[in-house]
Amino acid sequence: MFLADFVRFTVASLAAHRLRTLLTALGIAVGIAAVMLLTAIGEGLHRFVIAEFTQFGTNIITVTPGTITTHGASLGAVNTARPLSIDDALALERARYVKVVDPLVQGNAEVEYAGRGRRVTLYGVGADFATALSMRVASGEFLPHEDPRTPRAFAVLGSKVAEELYGAENPLGSRLRVGGERYRVIGVMEAKGQVLGFDLDDTVYIPVARAIDMFNRESLMEIHVVYEPTVPLAEVEAEIRRILIARHGVEDFTLTPQEKMLEVFDTVLTAITFAVSAIGAISLLVGGIGILTILTIAVAERTSEIGLLRAIGATQRAVLLLFLGEAALLAALGGAAGLALGWGVAWLLKLLLPALPVHTPWLYAVLAECVAVAVGLAAGVLPARRAARLDPLEALRGE
Amino acid sequence: MRAADLLEFAWRVVRGYRSRTLLILLAMGIGVAAVIAVSSIGEGARLYIVNQFGSLGTNLVIVLPGRSETAGAMPGVLIGRTPRDLTLDDALALKRSPAVRRLAPLIVGAGDARAGARSREAPVLGSTAELMDIRHMVLAQGRFLPEGDPRLAQPVCVIGAKLATELFGPRPVLGEWLRIGDWRFRIVGVLAAQGQSLGFNTDEIVIVPVAAAQALFDTEALFRILVEAKSRELIAPAQSDIEEILRERHEGKRDVTVITQDAVLATFDRILRALTLAVGGLAAISLAVAGILIMNVMLISVTQRRGEIGLLRALGATGPQIRLAFFTEAVLLALGGATLGLVVGKLGQVAIGQIYPEIPFTPPWWALIAAPATAIVTAVLFSVAPARRAARLDPVQALSKR
Repeated sequence: MFLADFVRFTVASLAAHRLRTLLTALGIAVGIAAVMLLTAIGEGLHRFVIAEFTQFGTNIITVTPGTITTHGASLGAVNTARPLSIDDALALERARYVKVVDPLVQGNAEVEYAGRGRRVTLYGVGADFATALSMRVASGEFLPHEDPRTPRAFAVLGSKVAEELYGAENPLGSRLRVGGERYRVIGVMEAKGQVLGFDLDDTVYIPVARAIDMFNRESLMEIHVVYEPTVPLAEVEAEIRRILIARHGVEDFTLTPQEKMLEVFDTVLTAITFAVSAIGAISLLVGGIGILTILTIAVAERTSEIGLLRAIGATQRAVLLLFLGEAALLAALGGAAGLALGWGVAWLLKLLLPALPVHTPWLYAVLAECVAVAVGLAAGVLPARRAARLDPLEALRGE
Repeated sequence: MRAADLLEFAWRVVRGYRSRTLLILLAMGIGVAAVIAVSSIGEGARLYIVNQFGSLGTNLVIVLPGRSETAGAMPGVLIGRTPRDLTLDDALALKRSPAVRRLAPLIVGAGDARAGARSREAPVLGSTAELMDIRHMVLAQGRFLPEGDPRLAQPVCVIGAKLATELFGPRPVLGEWLRIGDWRFRIVGVLAAQGQSLGFNTDEIVIVPVAAAQALFDTEALFRILVEAKSRELIAPAQSDIEEILRERHEGKRDVTVITQDAVLATFDRILRALTLAVGGLAAISLAVAGILIMNVMLISVTQRRGEIGLLRALGATGPQIRLAFFTEAVLLALGGATLGLVVGKLGQVAIGQIYPEIPFTPPWWALIAAPATAIVTAVLFSVAPARRAARLDPVQALSKR
């Protein structure tokens, strides 16, 4: 049989039963659309989370006291018998490959200006905090470089605090009460918005040594180390370990590179996307059973036709290929329709819910179409074999 | 046509085409089984988390230092510090509230527990004797922290089962000294092995008197106060009492957060229920695909059975009766598929239950009803078009064979 005949025959048999073809393809289409849409949402979410994280830069290592972690947070940050000090942070500044070191203490305090009070997240940070986390100052300047052990009482406001406490007034140079102490406001940060549940604008930044005093603590909660992006992570980690072990005697701290965190997130999100798509793929399976059913019926209906084909010289192989081709074409049609449907809904979602991150990679679309054809072929095997094995004599006698 | 005849008729059709009936049953069955299995995984996860949270205690009210204006800033409240600490005296003052049964102040931190030459970093909990009853802790050996004035730093401790074996091996641990930082504690009790509870492993912890923990970590500040209300009804009064007492003690400033276990539980419950519903809904898409298949096959069967339908019409069957016959067939198929799906789904759930015995996988009641119901409704809906086509057939034309 020539290829042209083959194609014509397959198309003709599909076109002869338009409604049937349409419905069978629709089954596959719904399955593909479901998989497509779910992967698109999963992938969109994936990119969203990764983008949220990488906006602080990827070449950061966080040092936390203690070696126990629960819920992803270091228990040592709350209380520890093995503290990390400002001197540790200063020692890390002299390390090789290290660009910026930023000690951090975080807490909750009340700030007051002109009778108006507000409870905010208070960060005790070093002068390089803004550089380390690539955050920008909107007006004024960030905390100055000075001896971190005896800093002056300066404060920098998050944009929301500035708005709520000062309104239209210019906060620069004013006196702000933070947790009962007086600070001079020297800067206001640019609005950053919510990042993974943290409101980074409802914050006040003060020098870390003052925050330690205010919270009556002994130690830092964590130290951020920004390193040269070209240096291998392992070398930077080894360097930090070497310095801190020399100072502490033992390894009583945990290093968490941003890259490792990203990897963990990546794995988790990929797993979720996969699981959800697998649930969507159940419909695809049912669609495949649809093809199987319809082809089984078609083989029974077209017994005499198959008999005739065999009688005029078509080989078993040719008949097998005919039915497989029909199954594959059905599935491919359905797959294409499903892709269009999935894309349409994804596009609609983007219009209706701009907050929901949706991303459809081309690769997935091609992959989905291949999967559809594979499902069709798999479903076609049984009926096609049955057709191919028909005895031409018997088949023709049925007429 | 009597109902019995109708059933008989549909039954014959269903049995007459074995392979296509089997395939439709398979398609419907997969759909129903998927909904059951997937939603029972979701429900299992929900029950697991709710149980874990429930096992933290009953009628719990939790007091945290610090408060935030924006709800989003929870993490700051969770581990951050405040200029005005929550102190032991604050905790003891809460006993004034008539709604409070007992309370336990809590300090947590990381310490290095050492015994002999062995050392191990362990979470250290500073609390009082009442922690045991509030958290429903069970002892394997010895006794819990002694009752008495919580301001006294008695040098005793209770340790987790795993920590005991790791530091002491098979030796008896009661009465041994455990060193944490520069302090020594005599071990008076060992906790029974409990395993992970919300990411916190009680098998590896050390519990010391709260005053000792204050000295150890050189801090006055409490991490939490766990308060148990006298009854379920008294949770809300206890919460407002606590807020009022602490406001008075903190010069009229509301600088603590008081959350109830119920509120946290309810939030988790709602989120996980919604997730289960969503995932079950996704699985139910396959039921729609199965419905399309039923419609397709029925359309074919209307064409194939023109003669039969024509004969029925000629014998006096009305259009509605023919329609009913097709609906009966669809419902029979759906029922069969749903039964198959329920059985397979249940088996699947038992199988996953074997792999993760600690999670109580169980299909939620709504899935047990909704999955078969959806199967039947889709089957009927999708057979509307074929049934109408059959009912509209002209008996004369149908009998005359095209």
